Amino acid sequence: MSAVAAALRPSDATACAAALADATRERRAVRVRGAGTKSYLGELLPTDLVLETGALSGVVDHVPADLTITVGAGTALAEVRRALGAHGQVLPLDPPHGDAATIGGVVAANSNGFGRLRYGGVRDLLIGTVVALADGTVARGGGRVVKNVAGYDLNKLLIGSLGTLGVLSEATFKVLPRPEAHALAVVRCRGAGPAFAIADALLHTAVRPSALVVDATHGRWMVLVGAEGQRPQVERAIAETGRAAGGAGAATERADDAEELLAAARELPATAVDGALIRAALPLAAQRSFAESAMGLEAAVRCVVDAGSGIARVHLRGDEATVLRSADTLLAAAAVVGGSARVERRDASLRARLAAWSGARPGGEFLMRRLKEAFDPAGVLEPGRSVIG
Amino acid sequence: MTVAAEGIAAGLRGAELGQRLEELLGRDKVLWRPEELLLYEYDGAVDTARPDAVVLPSRTEDVAAVARFCSRHGVPIVPRGAGTGLSGGAIPVFGGVVLSFARMARILEIDVPGLRAVVQPGLINLHLSTAVAPYGLYFVPDPSSQKACTLGGNVAENSGGPHTLAYGVTTNHVTGLEVVLSDGTVVRLGGKALEGEGYDLVGAFVGSEGTLGIVTEITVKLTPLPEDKRTIMAAFPTMDQASETVSAIIGAGIVPAAIEMMDALAVEAVEAAVHAGYPLDAGGILLVEVDGVRDGLDEQRDRILEIVRAHGASTLRVARTALEREQLWAGRKGAFAAMGRLAPDYYVQDGVIPRTRLPAILRHVKDVGERYGLRIANVFHAGDGNLHPLVLFDSSDGEAELERVKEAGREILEACVDAGGSLTGEHGVGMEKNCYMTMQFAGSDLAAMRRVKQAWDPLGLANPGKVFPTPGRCKEYDLRRARA
Repeated sequence: MSAVAAALRPSDATACAAALADATRERRAVRVRGAGTKSYLGELLPTDLVLETGALSGVVDHVPADLTITVGAGTALAEVRRALGAHGQVLPLDPPHGDAATIGGVVAANSNGFGRLRYGGVRDLLIGTVVALADGTVARGGGRVVKNVAGYDLNKLLIGSLGTLGVLSEATFKVLPRPEAHALAVVRCRGAGPAFAIADALLHTAVRPSALVVDATHGRWMVLVGAEGQRPQVERAIAETGRAAGGAGAATERADDAEELLAAARELPATAVDGALIRAALPLAAQRSFAESAMGLEAAVRCVVDAGSGIARVHLRGDEATVLRSADTLLAAAAVVGGSARVERRDASLRARLAAWSGARPGGEFLMRRLKEAFDPAGVLEPGRSVIG
Repeated sequence: MTVAAEGIAAGLRGAELGQRLEELLGRDKVLWRPEELLLYEYDGAVDTARPDAVVLPSRTEDVAAVARFCSRHGVPIVPRGAGTGLSGGAIPVFGGVVLSFARMARILEIDVPGLRAVVQPGLINLHLSTAVAPYGLYFVPDPSSQKACTLGGNVAENSGGPHTLAYGVTTNHVTGLEVVLSDGTVVRLGGKALEGEGYDLVGAFVGSEGTLGIVTEITVKLTPLPEDKRTIMAAFPTMDQASETVSAIIGAGIVPAAIEMMDALAVEAVEAAVHAGYPLDAGGILLVEVDGVRDGLDEQRDRILEIVRAHGASTLRVARTALEREQLWAGRKGAFAAMGRLAPDYYVQDGVIPRTRLPAILRHVKDVGERYGLRIANVFHAGDGNLHPLVLFDSSDGEAELERVKEAGREILEACVDAGGSLTGEHGVGMEKNCYMTMQFAGSDLAAMRRVKQAWDPLGLANPGKVFPTPGRCKEYDLRRARA
């Protein structure tokens, strides 16, 4: 294995597939890289090659009246937003690293933001893919229409696959008209109890917030409620937040332009560069107990819960032993309530002692291995990167 | 013939299969006498095939036992819910065992705080929404057959319905599954959380039409009921005007919960059958519904009315009461059944096109009807470009007539695929459109899907003869395509 991986920069799906076929034949391991914003995710074994998706970029097709857009995988999310914005439309994905991340990376990492509650996540918005496979073929999944059940949904397998099944070269998404209005309300609470009571109350109404976040540091619990849509709907969502907060004995502040509050919560994976960041996917009913016990841990610095989707992140900091102990506690806590968890990010010094995938094993792991074997029999794509190695 | 296919052809069949299954599971769970099997030859589509035996499992272990037995004896397994499917998904092409989930139809858990329900696959779609309504919740996908179709069938076909435009189809509302693989292995995928680690096996399974395994338990999302709705029926002199209205509504930034369209022939049938109050002199009618929080609904309704008027609507009705709304919907939901008023049989297609191609494709459908001398009614989900042309015919005219009807359907599907669309939006491929998969997918695309199949069902016993083109049955179609 060479010390410095050679870079490949294919400019279309066919060239990408050909490069993968060469790698397969020569048994050379491949890292797939978009903007590299999430190059902390999973185990990062050295590879012989780095396949950069930067030349697989640009808007391939956008028919505004069809509410769909097709883009190259190397296209920056920011560029997609600009292209859609010119037509008064949005791709309602708000993942972390949104300023730099590429579409391919967002799909491969199943990287979502708080908008998932209202708009769905990558798996709900992605309707078509073109993927270069390790045997040198190019496969299309889905299509450019919003409803399609012809054949298997290959799109779903690529989402969150971290490049281990193939290299995405093109993606088609459902898009939406830009919402007419938006608003943000902030509720400061005494603890997890009132914070999650507010979140639960809102989740059981028809208001569908565009963000429903519980953001906790020691002694400070805050609920952020974003609203988007037509103005009366937005006002109603804020009013409903006030009612829920009142019921929990807390006061609501209107902070429509305080995007930085949401951004700080959303970008936790970008800013939690020291210690360890644990990310759990939980049943909604288990969020409160998870967050509350998380913040009781000695190493816990901050906990951000996307309370509409059950995604909780806990930033741990401190001496190594404390961080490791806290990480173990959280990984186990997620598993016992029927959820899952990963070590999303950790300091380089912890890498050897805290594996990314040290949470409970996923159901159907043997099927995942068979799929990996079927799509990448030589095991050249992102070895070690995902939960199944 | 592939090795797997040879294995299937050579497997245990006939009365002996039924008798052996009776020994395994007990008499009350197995049907195998010819008269008992008749009902299971059909589903909601036009093809038929008789199973050698039908098993009525009452628990997951029964399903696993049948699968283990079948895998040892080369017997195909075909799951069946209510048999309402429209692509032959529940029909055993190669014989074998049909697993009917009529006795696994319970709600196992309603998790109100967690917004989930855990159900058995035989549960009827509407029964779930009815059961959770007291908590202010519902299950979003609402296929027109929701009074009969089962959640297991919905998972297999990735069913949609009129209200999926804004809220998604079945795959967007399923978070966990228990699946029995064709070798009898029981595996739990996902759960109540929105996602797990590793590949999205739940996402890969939903819509796989029973070809990857048999679902025995389903965890679904429950959604708070909308506070209110506004339902508008607008009649237009022509279908073109109705189609253009759809684009205009969406272009105005409104994404309604549903936009449904029907043509004059469909209206004629519906009015004769259910008296929904659609004007008989209209060229096309639209049913538009917006829902959600009460606030802003009147404004949305008014904007839609404005657009509809600007596009030349000849009649407008806004439902004033829940009863009026139900009446308007009764016409749409009862449209397929109402076709009996026009002809003894119908063959329904399910093509999808990009929404903006609606006017062109509707002209094409009309042209196909004229060329074949067949009456075709159109009932469809206009908001997401999902057509349901209903080709009317009389099966007593014989097999040749059915073939002609299928040919007309094929021409419509080809036009849909050529327009950048899909063979099927919600009914599935099944044994009805598997030969047509090559219209939409290249060899490499199908090869990728076959790898998925191989990973889940290496024995090839899970609903064989579906989804993928089969060399025998598809030869004729492939030859014709090669010539064209």
